Amino acid sequence: MTGRRASDIDADAARYVARMDGDDWSDAQERELERWLARDPRHPGALLRAQAAWMTLDRPFPAQSAVREDAGVRVGWSRRRVLAGGGAAVAAAVGGGVLLFGGTSYATAVGEIRRVPLADGSIAAINTASAIDVSLDDAARNVRIDRGEAWFQVARDKRRPFVVAAGRARIRAVGTAFSVRRRAGGADVLVTEGVVEVWAEGAEGHRVRLKAGSRGFVADDAAIEQAPAAPSAIDRALAWRNGKVDLAGDRLDSAVAEFNRYNRRQLVVADPAVAAERFDGVFRTDDPEGFAQAVEVSLGVPVDLSDPAQIRIGRPGL
Amino acid sequence: MAAWVTEHVIPHEAAVRAWLARTRASQEDIDELIQESYSRLAALESVDHIDRPDAYFFSIARNLLVRRLRRARVVPIEAIAEIDAFQDDMRPSPEREAGSRIDYRRLLALIDALPERRRRIVRMRKLEGWSQREIAAALGVSESIVENEIYQGVRAVQRAWRDGEALSAARLAAFEGGERPR
Repeated sequence: MTGRRASDIDADAARYVARMDGDDWSDAQERELERWLARDPRHPGALLRAQAAWMTLDRPFPAQSAVREDAGVRVGWSRRRVLAGGGAAVAAAVGGGVLLFGGTSYATAVGEIRRVPLADGSIAAINTASAIDVSLDDAARNVRIDRGEAWFQVARDKRRPFVVAAGRARIRAVGTAFSVRRRAGGADVLVTEGVVEVWAEGAEGHRVRLKAGSRGFVADDAAIEQAPAAPSAIDRALAWRNGKVDLAGDRLDSAVAEFNRYNRRQLVVADPAVAAERFDGVFRTDDPEGFAQAVEVSLGVPVDLSDPAQIRIGRPGL
Repeated sequence: MAAWVTEHVIPHEAAVRAWLARTRASQEDIDELIQESYSRLAALESVDHIDRPDAYFFSIARNLLVRRLRRARVVPIEAIAEIDAFQDDMRPSPEREAGSRIDYRRLLALIDALPERRRRIVRMRKLEGWSQREIAAALGVSESIVENEIYQGVRAVQRAWRDGEALSAARLAAFEGGERPR
């Protein structure tokens, strides 16, 4: 083979993918790309590979194991399809849980986190030990959270409001992203993008709008609290979407409660004196052992890992 | 097509590269063979008929290698042995099954390892669904800066797949060190 090095060609391909990934792809750019593709037999392959590599970041979490193979893309394709390479194709390709119309239920086990593309183009990320039911039709998009927590990236569709019900709490979005966590006396709402409207069932007259960067709590008695939250705080609260627990000055007992949502092996704070200690760090949701060891090292608190059912933090046996 | 490649071919690329390396092909040759193999895929009208994308991709790479060796004056003996043993590589095995899954955590770790601004932009674009324009507006930078960070992000993922970094540990164990799954 003569001509340019493979790594230079890869760089060119990456440049085109980044440009196509942007918001304005002109006819002139398309023609330039066509010329580039025709110039060397290696170019179409380099472009295809760069596109496919970039799309691997769109994939859902591996925890989502069921029906993975069913929805593989079996379509014929055109160059346009390759070049478009965008959201729709990915949504189809990630398979596993592409919803059809009618109610579809999703449940996650302890420690499992699932990303589910919905048929309307929205995405749901479902946190540990949660159950949701999704029902899409021509007039409405309704999601019910029976337990646990989910984050939604809602595809814009003015004709079909997207409403999440969690207990008596109701959260309505047009095109936005937010999370809802069902709790004993109501539901927590975190808005990451756009605006949502929240209310409680039976109190439709009392609605509150929450903007991006704020959090609200909709109590079953229809009381609605809201508070602005720093973007970093919201990012940290939603770190579970990437399988992480992100702590910044959190109390040890609340950090422990957070890990215990994800793991059968429960953390126990055996020493009440250390429960109020503050702690920082980013951990994997499925690594309570790593967290416990970090606590041991940085707070100087003894940790007992000998029991497979639990991890004791603080004076063992006292 | 790109989606099909994402799902069925990219996860096997590092294995094909490892196999090519055992034929004593140079790094530059391997890169070229891989690009040419993808070009063969890009030229397909449809992928409906391909039952085993991994085997198919292996075959393309192998055929391109054989063609290249025919033109070469000196053919390393290893190349011949490996080409003959190639069918063994394609037999389904538990390692192959377990390992052909992309390890999403590794991809996330890869994103996390990027420099701060790039990491933030790639996350917003890929995990949170912002458009490049929205990212530029939100961060108060130009769209060309965002595009450039995305470009660097694409480069990072290209490299990761080249090196098989995003594969599960089982998969890596299956072909690291030139060992062939039996």
